[in-house]
Amino acid sequence: MQLSEKMEGKMKRRDFIKSSLTTLAATAALQGVASRAIAGSILKIGVMIPLSGPAGLFGPASKNVSQMAADDINAAGGILGRQVEIVFGDAGLPPAEAAQTALRLWRGEGCEAFIGMHDSGVRGALINVFKEQVPYVYCPNYEGGECANGVYYVGETPAQSVVPTMTWLSKEKNLKKFYLIGNDYNWPRDTNAIAKNTIADMGGEVVGEEYMPFTVDNFDSSLAKIKATGADMVLITLVGGASVSFNRAFASFGLADSVMRLGTLIDENTLMGIGAENSKNIFSAASYFANIETDDAKAFAKSYSAKFGSDAAILNALSTSCYDGLTALDAIAERAGGLSVKEMDLVADGTAFGSPRGDAVMKNRHLTLDIYLAEAIGTNFEIVKTFSKQEPGNFCKA
Amino acid sequence: MEALVTFVLNFIYSSATLALIVLGLAMVFGLLGVMNMAHGEFVMLGAYSAYVVQYMGLSFLWAVPTSIVVCVTVGWLMEWAIIRHLYKRPFDTLLATWGVAILIRKGVEVIFTREYKSVDQVMPGTIDIIGITYPSYRLVLVAIIICLFIALFTWYQKSKTGLRVKAMVQNPELASAVGIDTARLSTVTFIIGVSFAGLAGVLLAPLVRVEPYIGLDYLLSSFFILIVGGLGTLEGILIGSAVIGGSDALISTIFDKTAGYLSVLFISILFLWLRPDGIFSRR
Repeated sequence: MQLSEKMEGKMKRRDFIKSSLTTLAATAALQGVASRAIAGSILKIGVMIPLSGPAGLFGPASKNVSQMAADDINAAGGILGRQVEIVFGDAGLPPAEAAQTALRLWRGEGCEAFIGMHDSGVRGALINVFKEQVPYVYCPNYEGGECANGVYYVGETPAQSVVPTMTWLSKEKNLKKFYLIGNDYNWPRDTNAIAKNTIADMGGEVVGEEYMPFTVDNFDSSLAKIKATGADMVLITLVGGASVSFNRAFASFGLADSVMRLGTLIDENTLMGIGAENSKNIFSAASYFANIETDDAKAFAKSYSAKFGSDAAILNALSTSCYDGLTALDAIAERAGGLSVKEMDLVADGTAFGSPRGDAVMKNRHLTLDIYLAEAIGTNFEIVKTFSKQEPGNFCKA
Repeated sequence: MEALVTFVLNFIYSSATLALIVLGLAMVFGLLGVMNMAHGEFVMLGAYSAYVVQYMGLSFLWAVPTSIVVCVTVGWLMEWAIIRHLYKRPFDTLLATWGVAILIRKGVEVIFTREYKSVDQVMPGTIDIIGITYPSYRLVLVAIIICLFIALFTWYQKSKTGLRVKAMVQNPELASAVGIDTARLSTVTFIIGVSFAGLAGVLLAPLVRVEPYIGLDYLLSSFFILIVGGLGTLEGILIGSAVIGGSDALISTIFDKTAGYLSVLFISILFLWLRPDGIFSRR
């Protein structure tokens, strides 16, 4: 680095600190009168979605859906009478870097609320940054167990998605032996902890449990174990590319005919990668699929393709959750009459709103919502059963 | 017994495919001294060639010439624009080819998006062999790879071009003094190297996932094999693939996949430390 560059860097840092301090001071001065005093001004919302990294695959659709939600909210008069403007931040980075981005959007760009569609690691980092001072809606399905102030979880938890679907499917197909396979991090492990209770309740048996590093793309040894254990069902919590590779190899060994596969993160994209000839007996459980046969979902899909073209990035549960995130923020803020975390926390429970995936009601900062069990037919999902109004459970300490 | 047969077949399959993947990289690195960080991207281009051919409704066999055309074109452009100016500057080629790798990835992303593509199996289904059920295409693939290696080995030992390449590798100045066009030979070697990567992509496409970032996986495993096997010999490639593929398969079967992966890293580190030239070293 040249000396002049160094100086420049220093200057920039100093400017940044200065401007941050100014913003801080201004925020402090305005506190209390803030929300109502600036009614009519633009409301900036930070939307943290993966624009790079492994989950960057979901970036384009998430971006489209968020923009669509903002446009719909604005057409209906905005949030608290203010027109919404979305500022995107990259959540596909390591948690610390994503947190820096969020901090910049909050303190630098003046975002007054946040929407997040990203992994749990980034969520933890953002919660640390926001420190209960700015409302934050976490969108995708996740492992459950949290109840931070000012954070609203609109995705389903394993208690909602895994428990009912696994129980029903096992009864329907008479399944007794279960093999659990996932990537090695907290979401699969927590999901499987709940699944194991369900299996025990049903009188079933866990014949294998395995966690894969993210770098693995050869699943031969696991497939041999699945075969040897005589499992009736494999619960898959592998993510993205790992799920694609695993499912392709699974079918190529001729296991698809006799062994059911169930996952809670097998979305439309993953199924495309798995391919029609490898998708037999794959079941997926989620609060949204692109072809749910409800009026809301159909209207949503129709206006999505009208807006972004028929070859736009395909809709799935993750990208669509951004729509629910913004809708939930709108509904809670309107009910609270402001964007302060304290006010919003007080009224969050009981907030009801409609969305592409059905009607939802907030309870314990999570949602009571409908869960769909879909079966893969070729590279399409067909809903085989709807489990309506699944309760989120309570993770909030009294 | 069943488990043993499955293990042996899986071991042969993974060693063979690893050897196929690393072949192009070993040629380019071993013969030209160019560490091609974009090697995995050529595998990826091969896989996308197979996807495009399928998308157009053509027979899978068309994927082979398609991938060769794509890889020869991209490889020639790359050699002409970048590599030939950087021979004997290993660190610079490392950076430059890494840049090209990013360019190829992003280019493919622009054309095909990041969504997963699925290439249908040429021979779906399984066959019963020695008491177990095994995917038919895997067995065919192993046979193809074995034939390919035998042909290549024979050609390299017997042909005049093989002799010229050996001369160039051992002493470039002397080789050009006796009338060997080393510049052209280097270009051709590079292009053939990346074309083998493309061919590997085509052959593997029906079995693996296809997306713009798969190249990284193949680059990493190729490194480990080169570290163990050593540079510049076909025997080294085969042994390296067997050691890496075998230890992963064995440890994964006995313990779990994390242990399997750990064993690969451990072996690679041991080799770098105690035998940096690999098992078969030309030096």
